[in-house]
Amino acid sequence: MACQGLQGGETVASLKRESESLRKKLEEERKKLSDIELNQVAEKIEVLGPLSIKTRRVLKGHGNKVLCMDWCKDKRRLVSSSQDGKVIVWDAFTLNKEHGVALPCTWVMACAYAPSGCAVACGGLDNKCSVFPLSLDKNENLSAKKKSVAMHTNYVSGCTFTSSDMQILTSSGDGTCALWDVESGQLLQSFHGHTADVLSLDLAPSETGNTFVSGGCDKKANIWDMRSGQNIQSFESHESDINCVKYYPSGDAFASASDDATCRFYDLRADREVAVYQKDSVIFGASTVDFSLSGRLLFAGYNDYTINVWDVLKGTRASILFGHENRVSRVRVSPDGTALCSASWDNTLRVSWAAYL
Amino acid sequence: MSGKMCSSNSVIQAQKLVDQLQLEASMERIKISLTAADLVRYCQDHRRSDPLLTGIAASSNPFKDKKTCVLL
Repeated sequence: MACQGLQGGETVASLKRESESLRKKLEEERKKLSDIELNQVAEKIEVLGPLSIKTRRVLKGHGNKVLCMDWCKDKRRLVSSSQDGKVIVWDAFTLNKEHGVALPCTWVMACAYAPSGCAVACGGLDNKCSVFPLSLDKNENLSAKKKSVAMHTNYVSGCTFTSSDMQILTSSGDGTCALWDVESGQLLQSFHGHTADVLSLDLAPSETGNTFVSGGCDKKANIWDMRSGQNIQSFESHESDINCVKYYPSGDAFASASDDATCRFYDLRADREVAVYQKDSVIFGASTVDFSLSGRLLFAGYNDYTINVWDVLKGTRASILFGHENRVSRVRVSPDGTALCSASWDNTLRVSWAAYL
Repeated sequence: MSGKMCSSNSVIQAQKLVDQLQLEASMERIKISLTAADLVRYCQDHRRSDPLLTGIAASSNPFKDKKTCVLL
């Protein structure tokens, strides 16, 4: 018995030594390929001209902090969710509210529009993700048709439909991500590897295959194979919680926003961080990021109520958007790249776009 | 007995970590000079069709009210 205990101890120690040397080897491999910096490669391209992006519309209607929003593929509708349990579907052209539903829980941290435009998914402190079909009858009680799909053992922090209305992917405070079948509520795949709350996830653009990225309180961003459940790449360079992760439009890179007041850019094929977007004057945590259509601009929302617009390639700040009167919780570029929607703890959503100068 | 359980659990966890790191270490990586060039090229190829970068004319802005014609 004592001997077996000793054997176990020795095995753990030797495994620990092996994992340390593997970590060192990983770092060496990554360093070998860092023959140049991204902003050096970007030196020869033109500097960005002045941007004319301004807030042009304000969506008022939530009675409490807006925590999340998502655009519909039709480029005009969007869904938003709030701390008081309300989920609203808006027409961003007319500013009309088309649907509203009250969840029986507070802090609805995640909401997503289905690819068909016929349903929305949302979840939060209820530890679930539910799907609501949207009917043409505005008077219909949406709650009656509610379908509970995902069940986690802690809050749901993020959700997204995959390529169809049939599956949703969720991230949770229970440290896992999971893939669910909407019709049956069945768990199709679970993703284990994070050692703390997972706060965000994003699906790779459809052309690049079946992977997604997640980020969380363990300061790590992980890339997952959706079919096998395998964690295929891992990045740990942030100094605090990662609040949001988003793929670059080509699918070859992704950006992250963190409580350490920086946003970072990771190249998936070089397997390393290639840019840090930071400034001495930016000291508040970044909660959300999204790319413009070409990938040149990175919009990042902060806890100091501003949105910084970063030049992704040159690493400099191109613009700042003011207007929100509390933390910015979510920024999302519309599907055709025309507009940026930002959601905030000031109970509003704002839609901004660039006019010809 | 509980000592044995603890040690076999930590062995399993340590082995999982080694397996994961071996998987990550075995990945084929590409030089940044090549991958960064591709990222830059993507931006350049798509810059003219990025409305937040180029701006949109009021007449083609889906968010703006279309002006109606009044026949007198």
